[in-house]
Amino acid sequence: MTLVVDEHKMNDKFPIGMRVLAVDDDRTCLMILEKLLLKCQYHVTTAKNAIDALNLLRENKKNFDLVISNVHMPDMDGFKLLELIGLEMDLPVIMFSVNDDLKMVMKGITHGACDYLLKRVRLKEVQIIWQHVIRKKKGKRSNSDSVNGIDSAVIGSSDQNVKPYRKRKDKNENDDEEENEDDDDDDEDPSA
Amino acid sequence: MDRNNCRRQVAAMKQSLFDQGLLDEQFIQLEELQDDANPNFVEEIVTLYYRDSSRLISNLEQTLERNPLDFNKLDTIMHQFKGSSSSIGAKKVKAESSLIREYCRTGNAEGCRKSYQQMKKEYVALRKKLENYFQLARQAGPLERACRPK
Repeated sequence: MTLVVDEHKMNDKFPIGMRVLAVDDDRTCLMILEKLLLKCQYHVTTAKNAIDALNLLRENKKNFDLVISNVHMPDMDGFKLLELIGLEMDLPVIMFSVNDDLKMVMKGITHGACDYLLKRVRLKEVQIIWQHVIRKKKGKRSNSDSVNGIDSAVIGSSDQNVKPYRKRKDKNENDDEEENEDDDDDDEDPSA
Repeated sequence: MDRNNCRRQVAAMKQSLFDQGLLDEQFIQLEELQDDANPNFVEEIVTLYYRDSSRLISNLEQTLERNPLDFNKLDTIMHQFKGSSSSIGAKKVKAESSLIREYCRTGNAEGCRKSYQQMKKEYVALRKKLENYFQLARQAGPLERACRPK
């Protein structure tokens, strides 16, 4: 299956230069997250609260490929932000939190989050978030089913064998292993 | 062999911070993010942490002074404080923060106040130790450079 790349949104070197909006009211955490994203050679914009994030996105949603946001923020619940982004911009959103309560994670996924990461976020986790951009695009192109939220997470893992459109740099060579770690299924995949 | 001496001292100081249980592996993760683009990344993060958390400390102290104690409010501030402290690898501060949150959950005002005093001690002590550490690390310089006192 060939993937058609939307030239308006992605450059030749994707995922390098992938445009991420990072949202967290804690400046220390935000600075660390920004550095993690920069290490992956993404292009990073930061926002200190949900309202700022929404304004940036409303200004031009085509400026971003993916949003990564804290769940607990004072001005607006992260889930509310997630819903609004889903409705208005339909960009992939990754949530993160210190809270690993199953109900919270479930709430995140059912509200449309592509993934739910536990703080303290690791470089390895951030290195593979580009997959959500591809999955989302793929989902939009398969017109038949509506692929969002939970479905996206399920379909995503079965697509591990699809080689995405991207150029590899040395830094990302480890991604082959990281991709497997992203599996919801276990590593043993005899059907591959 | 000044350079090696400096580096050895830095390593020893860091090891000591870990041995005392003051820092956890998150601190190592932060050091791994340090690069030519941000050669003082860890120090910047820690500085930012202490700057922002001082506001939380004020809020905490104001909240603790009130009677009856507003446990919900205290817990909300502690949630934030704990998350921030955790992000720099402040192990003991994080542990004390968890304790305060437990006391909030059980509505134990005295427990909250006592734990807070302990936490603040750890918080202040860590700042001083990290200041010394960064000062020494600056002298040691990155591996390629010789150790020169500033």
